Amino acid sequence: MTTKKKFNGKQFLVNYAIYLILLALIIVITVISPKFLSLSVFKDILMQSSVRIVVAMGCMFIIISGSADLSGGRMVGLSSLIAASLAQQATAGLKFWPGLPELPAFVPVLASMVVGVCFGIFNGLVVSKLRVPAFLATLGSQMMIFGFSSLYFNKAPNNSQPLGSLTSGFKALGGGSIAGVPIIVMIAVVVMIIVWILLTKTCLGKEIFAVGGNLEAARVSGINVFKIQMITYSIAGACYGLAGALEAARTASATSAYGQSYELDAIASCIVGGCSVAGGVGTVGGVFAGVIIFNVISYGLTFIGISPYWQNVVKGLIIIGAVALDVRKYSSKK
Amino acid sequence: MKKALSLLVAFAMALSLVACGGSDSSAAGGSSAAASGSGEATATAGVCWYNFGDTFIANARNTLNEAAAADGTIKVVDADSLNDVATQTSNINNFYTQGVDYLVLNNINNNAIAEIIEQAKEEGVTLIFANTNSPTDEEFAMYDKVYHVSSVAEQSGTIIGEALAKYWNEHPEADRNGNGKLDYIMLLGIQGHYDTEVRSANSLKALEDAGIETECVQETICNYQRAEAQNQVASILQARKDDIDAVIACNDDMALGAIEALKAAGFFGEGEYIPVVGVDATANGVEAIKEGTMLCTALNNPVTLGNSVYKLMTVLEKGEEPTQENIGIDGTTVEGHHIYINYVGITADNTEDAAY
Repeated sequence: MTTKKKFNGKQFLVNYAIYLILLALIIVITVISPKFLSLSVFKDILMQSSVRIVVAMGCMFIIISGSADLSGGRMVGLSSLIAASLAQQATAGLKFWPGLPELPAFVPVLASMVVGVCFGIFNGLVVSKLRVPAFLATLGSQMMIFGFSSLYFNKAPNNSQPLGSLTSGFKALGGGSIAGVPIIVMIAVVVMIIVWILLTKTCLGKEIFAVGGNLEAARVSGINVFKIQMITYSIAGACYGLAGALEAARTASATSAYGQSYELDAIASCIVGGCSVAGGVGTVGGVFAGVIIFNVISYGLTFIGISPYWQNVVKGLIIIGAVALDVRKYSSKK
Repeated sequence: MKKALSLLVAFAMALSLVACGGSDSSAAGGSSAAASGSGEATATAGVCWYNFGDTFIANARNTLNEAAAADGTIKVVDADSLNDVATQTSNINNFYTQGVDYLVLNNINNNAIAEIIEQAKEEGVTLIFANTNSPTDEEFAMYDKVYHVSSVAEQSGTIIGEALAKYWNEHPEADRNGNGKLDYIMLLGIQGHYDTEVRSANSLKALEDAGIETECVQETICNYQRAEAQNQVASILQARKDDIDAVIACNDDMALGAIEALKAAGFFGEGEYIPVVGVDATANGVEAIKEGTMLCTALNNPVTLGNSVYKLMTVLEKGEEPTQENIGIDGTTVEGHHIYINYVGITADNTEDAAY
């Protein structure tokens, strides 16, 4: 009896390590600076995490399906440029598309999501039809997308000037609130709910897990692997596109440098949040906690005045720890 | 074992792909030649810019290419170092293989200036350092065909520091916590980056020279990125909102990120004003000055840089040495082999000067 209880405790530690680390971090920071425990800090962290949450949700589909995607960050960059260029005020001093009238806020968001989906489809085709390993296929598309971003950004008359003068309607997506709740946070929550439903309540979700768990078994049991890969990459593309638009709205600007290395942060958040590198495992709640933990680190360490370089040390340690736990979790089950 | 091996191969391929990506882009850059002006080009110049994606570089590069296209004496071929020392080195070697007469180097390999000069001497190519650290006098003495065209980075820090000092002296309420000191947040670009170091040091020196006591609330590295500055300033404001009198940013993008965070925390507009200073005078920066949020920025005119580099090459091509007269571009100071490009302070009083 006692041994069984002890075993459960260990199992609990392994399963909920991420939440415990998060809690410990918050406690340490609060002890150093008690002001950390306030509603406005909480709101700030959620607002700063929102874009990362949307990126990580997209990335999660790909990781669960047992694939990889390195193009996410640059896709965020390209879509932030597209969204910002379509969201400028009619009277902007340096207008990206001269003569373009002011568009309602949903147009730039939709446009950037469409671009994201297009590149997602491209990734899916390269991976499934050309049979290029996902890691390399998306490394290639990462470069291509950055190239397109730079070309778009350098288009006359913009000539690589950071985009600005965005409409207040569009900026409200990133900075506005309804009844005290930031709109950007609501969007992230809606995305999480949709992803949760897709993954846990639909056949598609089960098929994605099946493909990631064992590709051959899934194929033999009649799952259309090609379809699943196309769908996961497209959904991820849509998420990256939305995230790009939100990043532009939040910062009221965009450059071709936006989104750089966001894909690695997203992958790290997924892994730390309990997604298995091998595929087939992952939860929305875990990935959410994974994103939050990294943002608590960067926000909290700046809050207590610690050099940003320590943030990298801490983040790196947490990634290594999480993967070590991940290996343990699944080896103990077998 | 087999799987591990295939992973290793995949990784090696990925690496080589990255490497190829680098050299490919330099070759692509090489095709953006700007010849065929009025007459036949008599010389070729290879230009290595540190990063095409940098706004300032993009403007300088466009100006230089346009000047070459309009004049036609010197054919200009350029390459992107992708902010990477190794890429810069291979681009330089490509240009030597192509047999250029001038090498214009927006150098990022600051520890290898002597080696770069040595190599240019062996190749017999005229070397022009553009918008980068100056070689030392000893390094200039190594080879007589070395020139340096750049802004004086110290000026940018001094200009924004002086603007802040002026504001501080005219607005007693700027001392928000009443401690008699100017408490500032310093937003740094990249650690160890030359511009970052001189801008931050000289802005503080200007404040000190004006007799103002300062205190650093927090110094933070934001890699010249707007989003990073916005996130970090939001956090600092939550922790020590009432202790902050000013924000000093090493470029406009970070200043604008700080302004977004300040707005979110209730400053500007109806709320309190906090002076924020930046460097670059980007279109968005100047817009913020007009809007009344940013206090001051310093303009390093990329058009002047591009034109000065081209003018220097045409002067040298005629067999002359550069002087104030034969360069003849406003806002520059010629001293021996140096052409200094002067920074201009931009405030609400002279935003029209930022249009170039």
